[in-house]
Amino acid sequence: MGRPSTFTQYKTLLAKDIRQEFRTREMLTSMGIYALLVIIVYGAALALTANGIDVMKMGGGLLWVLIVFTSLLGLGRSFAHEKEQGCMEGILLVPLDRSVVFLAKATANILFMLAVEVIAVPLFYFFFMSGEPVAPTFLAIVAPLVVGTVGMAGIGTMLSTITMNTRSRDVMLAVLFIPLIYPLLYACVTATTAAIAGTEFWMDFFVMPLVLACGYDVVMLLVCWVLYDFVVGA
Amino acid sequence: MRKTKGPGVNLARGEKHTNPTSDPDEMAIRALGITKAFGTRKAVDEVSFELPEGAFLSIFGPNGAGKTTLLRVLSTLARPSAGEAYICGVDLRENPDEARGLIGLISHQSMLYPDLTAEENLMLYARLYGVADPQARVSELLDAVGLSHRRLDQVRTFSRGMTQRISIARALVHDPKVVFLDEPYSGLDPHAVDIFDELIESVRGNRTFVMVSHDLAKGFAMCTHALVLARGRIVTYARKDDLDFADFSALYRDTVGMGVA
Amino acid sequence: MAQRKVNVPEAGQWPDKLAVPALAAGAALTTAGFLMAFLFAAPVNGAALDAPELVGGVMVSHQQLLSQKIFYFHMPVAIVSFIALAFGAYYGVRFLTTREQRFDTCSRVAMEIALLFVVFTMITGDLWTRFEWGVWWTWEPRLTTYLILMLIVIAYFVMRNAVDDPERRATYASVISVIALVDVPICFMITRLIPSSVHPVITREGGMAPDMAATVVVIMLGMMLVGYGLYRLRFREARLAERVQALKEQMED
Repeated sequence: MGRPSTFTQYKTLLAKDIRQEFRTREMLTSMGIYALLVIIVYGAALALTANGIDVMKMGGGLLWVLIVFTSLLGLGRSFAHEKEQGCMEGILLVPLDRSVVFLAKATANILFMLAVEVIAVPLFYFFFMSGEPVAPTFLAIVAPLVVGTVGMAGIGTMLSTITMNTRSRDVMLAVLFIPLIYPLLYACVTATTAAIAGTEFWMDFFVMPLVLACGYDVVMLLVCWVLYDFVVGA
Repeated sequence: MRKTKGPGVNLARGEKHTNPTSDPDEMAIRALGITKAFGTRKAVDEVSFELPEGAFLSIFGPNGAGKTTLLRVLSTLARPSAGEAYICGVDLRENPDEARGLIGLISHQSMLYPDLTAEENLMLYARLYGVADPQARVSELLDAVGLSHRRLDQVRTFSRGMTQRISIARALVHDPKVVFLDEPYSGLDPHAVDIFDELIESVRGNRTFVMVSHDLAKGFAMCTHALVLARGRIVTYARKDDLDFADFSALYRDTVGMGVA
Repeated sequence: MAQRKVNVPEAGQWPDKLAVPALAAGAALTTAGFLMAFLFAAPVNGAALDAPELVGGVMVSHQQLLSQKIFYFHMPVAIVSFIALAFGAYYGVRFLTTREQRFDTCSRVAMEIALLFVVFTMITGDLWTRFEWGVWWTWEPRLTTYLILMLIVIAYFVMRNAVDDPERRATYASVISVIALVDVPICFMITRLIPSSVHPVITREGGMAPDMAATVVVIMLGMMLVGYGLYRLRFREARLAERVQALKEQMED
């Protein structure tokens, strides 16, 4: 019985998460519905002010509010199944590198978050932006969306591993998550807004934040990767 | 007055670090001065014992005696603060991954994903452990626990007893040499307990078992070795042959009384 | 420092004797610095205080020249808070590698000091913004960073309260303190480097005049001593509490 490669174990764990999600559709439906509800709240909040031009200016920010809160909901649930029947311990009893658990879970979270964004972003566009002419650079928002999602899923996976063992875990996750992702959020909002506006110098406001956001992702993922062993070992 | 230490106590204490008479390689578990402490609070305090291969050890003790902590240390889920432990000669601190390959754990929690089927759960663990032919091994195990006909059903739909049977299969998927049982009876009805016992007996083979249980009579009936912990320390460690149940339960009652005071 | 003989948490080693003198010296230095800031250090570019003055081609009211004095406190406090945070993370790492409770206590106390100084930073910073820019709050990089830092430190303590098992609490707290230390400079860098069309990034004024630098150094030293003294006193208190707890448990045995 040879020990399987780290990559095989990673794939096995990831496949488990995806299969489970396909069976229950728990995270995707709850996140999807939540995203829709946030959009409805926006509709009420912007009822009087929202002529299209204003929304175009705020669009990047509003979109990220939507994403942050929706992700928070999903991340909070992501370890519920591991905790429920003590499965996390079952996984930890297997001879595997602890960071594989982190990477597999983070990947699953990235996939679920991206899946929800694929639905939520067009919806957002449909409800708030479809009345205005679109800047040719609009599609560039994909880049900050992906970079931001990766970083948020990474640090969110780490934090939800911590909060799954705390009291009032959902609040706890928000309290830790939002300040820690603030820099990433700031960078991504700037880049997204620049891409939506698509003015003459949009690249100035797009490239630099994106590079910084990538830097944040790399540093934070490394830190989480290193520290994860301690977190699950506790 | 009753002896406070059991007759076989010399198995545990005294020869803490070298034991010329026993061959370390034949011991399924060797614990040398295991301590698990945080600050001044010692959950497990200098526990040393040896358990030969094929034995069945029952660990008794009042709540908070450190039974579960000891089990977690021995099953690599917690790092000891001091001391050494060997599973089949493998050092838990040096080679935790190698030791994990030799260990199975059946707990009162099933460690199964309720939304996956019995087969998917077992396949998941078989793949993670790198079992040579996962499909064959999983079918074999499902047969062994008598649940082949339910293999495509989600674990969520199973009764507590059936879940616990799958849980046995899960723990044995990589054919471990040492199996830990952490309060395996909690939540099982008497009938399920009987089935569970039969199953454990049938998969016993040459494996070593270590069980933590509250049920004195049951734990005593199954074991070949008995260990009583109180406040993290070994009170008694003896072979069952050297013990008499009446004596032992009286001693145990003393210990529990001590633990409560 | 590294003696771990008895099974009762030790307290009252020699650094504790320094705590009170350090605190006193810190207070004296800070007071001296306070006086220096008003009596010794000249207003920026030698401006007089009695009338609005032209500084670097900009008309500056004397109210603003006075508010500049806050800077002498603001900067040292901010630096000390960051140092405290760095110590918190350092002891966090020490804890993770050794699993000794005393390092968790060190880390926690350092974070408490960090929180105290971060709050002071926020207050002084906010006063400054009010007078300098005429607004109570602006999303300026340094202010933002310190707001985020304050929230992270608060989150650290909220999290500590929500975990029951002491070892697990210590582990999680250490991990968070390390992440916080990494996050804060990134936060500063990102808020500073990203061009913002609304608020221009505040560029550093040229070098400091010698009298200004001297004042800053005095206050900085004072604040550091105050920080150290508070840290040591609080640490001793925490250690003694642990000691009492341990003795109680021993008596139960």
